[in-house]
Amino acid sequence: MRWTLLAVLLFASAAMAKDVDVPVVYYRLGNGLKVVISEAHAAPTVTVAVYYGIGFRVEPKGQTGFAHLFEHMMFQGSAHVKKAEHAKIVEQNGGVMNGSTRLDFTNYFETLPSNAVETALWLESDRMRSLDVNEENLKNQQNVVSEEIRVNVLNQPYALFEWLDIWQAANQNWYNAHNFYGDLHDVEAAKIADVRQFFKTYYAPNNAVLAVVGDVDPAAVRPMVEKYFADIPLQSVPERPDISEPKQTKEKRLTETDKLANVPAFAMAYHVADHDSADFAPTVLLDLILQGDDSSRLFQRLVKEKEIALDWAGGINFELGNEFDYDGPMLMVSRATYKPGHGGAEILKEADAVVHDLQQHGVTKKELEAAKVRFRSNFYSQLESTFGKANLLASFALFNDDPQRINKVVAQYDAVTAEQIQSVAQRYLVPENRTSIDRVPEKK
Amino acid sequence: MRRLLIFFIALPLFAQQPPPAPPKPVQWPPMTEKKLDNGLTVVLVPLHNVPKVECDLSFLAGRGSAVAQLAARVLPEGTATRSSKQIKEELRAIGGDLSVNTDPDSTTITSSALSDFTPRLFEIVSDIAQHASYPKSEVELAKTNFANEIEEERSQPDFLAEEQLAKAVYGAHPYGFTVPDPKALPKVTASSLKEFAAARYVPNNAVLIVVGDIEPGAAFAEAKKAFGGWKRGAAQPAVPTAFPKREKRTVYFIDRPGSVQSTIYIGAIAPPRKSPDYIALRTADTILGGAFYSRLTRNIRESKGYSYSPTSFAVLRRYAGEVTTTAAVRNEVTGPAILEMLYEMDRMRVEPVTKEELDSAKTYSNGTMALELESQAGFAQRIRTLYIYDLPRDFLTTFSEKINALTPADIGNAAAKYFDTYRGAIVIVGDYKAVKAQVAPFGDVVVVK
Repeated sequence: MRWTLLAVLLFASAAMAKDVDVPVVYYRLGNGLKVVISEAHAAPTVTVAVYYGIGFRVEPKGQTGFAHLFEHMMFQGSAHVKKAEHAKIVEQNGGVMNGSTRLDFTNYFETLPSNAVETALWLESDRMRSLDVNEENLKNQQNVVSEEIRVNVLNQPYALFEWLDIWQAANQNWYNAHNFYGDLHDVEAAKIADVRQFFKTYYAPNNAVLAVVGDVDPAAVRPMVEKYFADIPLQSVPERPDISEPKQTKEKRLTETDKLANVPAFAMAYHVADHDSADFAPTVLLDLILQGDDSSRLFQRLVKEKEIALDWAGGINFELGNEFDYDGPMLMVSRATYKPGHGGAEILKEADAVVHDLQQHGVTKKELEAAKVRFRSNFYSQLESTFGKANLLASFALFNDDPQRINKVVAQYDAVTAEQIQSVAQRYLVPENRTSIDRVPEKK
Repeated sequence: MRRLLIFFIALPLFAQQPPPAPPKPVQWPPMTEKKLDNGLTVVLVPLHNVPKVECDLSFLAGRGSAVAQLAARVLPEGTATRSSKQIKEELRAIGGDLSVNTDPDSTTITSSALSDFTPRLFEIVSDIAQHASYPKSEVELAKTNFANEIEEERSQPDFLAEEQLAKAVYGAHPYGFTVPDPKALPKVTASSLKEFAAARYVPNNAVLIVVGDIEPGAAFAEAKKAFGGWKRGAAQPAVPTAFPKREKRTVYFIDRPGSVQSTIYIGAIAPPRKSPDYIALRTADTILGGAFYSRLTRNIRESKGYSYSPTSFAVLRRYAGEVTTTAAVRNEVTGPAILEMLYEMDRMRVEPVTKEELDSAKTYSNGTMALELESQAGFAQRIRTLYIYDLPRDFLTTFSEKINALTPADIGNAAAKYFDTYRGAIVIVGDYKAVKAQVAPFGDVVVVK
């Protein structure tokens, strides 16, 4: 009945809400593979995920989209699992599977009834050990990936401009500023030798994290992990190239025309502090205050008060992940569709008014507390599914070598002050640190 | 050389797929159902994965008119005692989210919060359901924004295809209505929305589903406190149950110049969700295209490379449903892709599925049903289907037994009955000039304006 009591407080402190403690078993195999096991018994399911420390950010120059094309090839066969059998085996065991390519990792995962955990480990070990693909598979997946780019980008209004275009416009270093989904021409030019070389270079146990999360006993999982993964040889993985982003010094405003859209849209992006900077947590809360939900300042101003935007959404690592699952230069992005008759300059003017107010007057105590509750609630949502938890644990292991961090996040964010948020707003949310794209329908 | 040696030694050890441990029977969380005096059905399900709670209040009020859709849209934008902004700020302070959605059968206030604040969430949802004030400014803003959103949706190929398919399958039935004509919106008045809300958003036409980190007894007491005083409403209007019978296959083409793909939907009418055919039909769909290792994916994607995500789905609703096969393919292979889609649907009707396919579909269906326990919102959505589609309350506990009893003949019969390639509708959104010749062989072509 604790919550009945709490309910009389309209704005209860975040510190009063229940804490979550995620059990974490973390160790490294002799070949360098990082292993995270976390038991959770709310559902009779388990997620097995392998995160490789290679994403589209550092794919080979001149081969845009290659990291993603390669991800598809990981489903095309390994020594004991022929083409299409991976999906077949997972589904025959009652599970679902997928893979995805992101800025700084590529992940492969299965969520299935927990009795099939060993099968999933065997499947992942087989492809880590022995990718086995040929020209025909490659040609097939080049076609599939080309259709993926058509269905998600080229045949859609707005063409994902809020990440594909804005990352290219806002950044200068090629690694942060190329077409992450890939030009069709580059996708079609890939060779089987490139695929094999990429596998050999990056898909090494010492460049990966294995996460096992769900209805399992870690003591029973450990010997299975040992059995399937311990003898996969380590490889020498190249140093990551310099992905640092030179400081932006001048505001960028771009206009694009859209052949398929009927209604105009707008996106803007600010460069934000590094993950390990003291400015980072205040930036995340600042983002929530500005655009975290329908009560946020930008939504209220642009959609409800000025009635210019039809919607307002945004965030850090927007549409690519969350505030924890990347490792490198980052943008805080906003995106809106807006009423015909208005324009991007007008949106910028209103957004600036919101930002100036916050820079001058800071945030209220009530606003700060509410943002912390919002953060906690969003964070718990990420912990809800075994996959969501695996994603955070694997990211913290891959990027910080510290999956225990999952239990320290909430306290860290609870400690942020109003002054820090104001200061971050003053230093980062300035026009010379911003890029915007006004995307207008082509005249018909 | 060391690597090679290890690899070589490893082979005999791990060549074989390890057999799974015996499956654990799924322990479905207990479902408590109670009825308040005002007719509100309250369903409580504890699910302690995270300290949050999902609270969905669902009304049997489908989306079949402009008024129904606008009434839902403006519902959370102000009550007698709270402005729209206050509602949103109070939600943020409890880690809450709230939205109102409509589908062909129902209107649902979907909400969640940190579970510490469950009573607070109930109180907000209850206030919205009972005392929505439909402020004039909010109604006017919603009308303008909704009209623009419809224009935006009409630039998306999947939206256009789904809208046309609903018309082709359900005809004049309310299920055939996807969104209003934007030009009709200015005429909608605030008072008509208020009247709709007063008549339809009533406790005796609603179910409240609470799933999450709760203790059912305590949560019920709180729910009773929040919703008990809500006044019962009048009886609800009957929904038509007659659906048109299609005579022949027709190709409906929506011209979208500049498209680099044809977005293809092939669909036909299916029975209500309550139908005894449901279990066999959903399994036939799994084998055809509902799972990744399905016939459509193997053929159209993994063998021919025509499409990224060919898929099929059987969506059964309260009064009828549809089976749909879909793929987005590059212009050059539009005709060949339609041919393969029809072929795979026909093959389901003609050739018995293999034992391996059926066994896999059974395990897959059982396993993915258990996966729904990973999400409070997802599980609430599953519970909701029991009420909106009027299903037996033992649906989950008997599901496995029913799935496991299916035979290849059951699948063949369901496919023969519902994968109706001869009277179905083929909807294509694409560049008509570019693919016209490729679609002509599949039936009379109606170019939709």
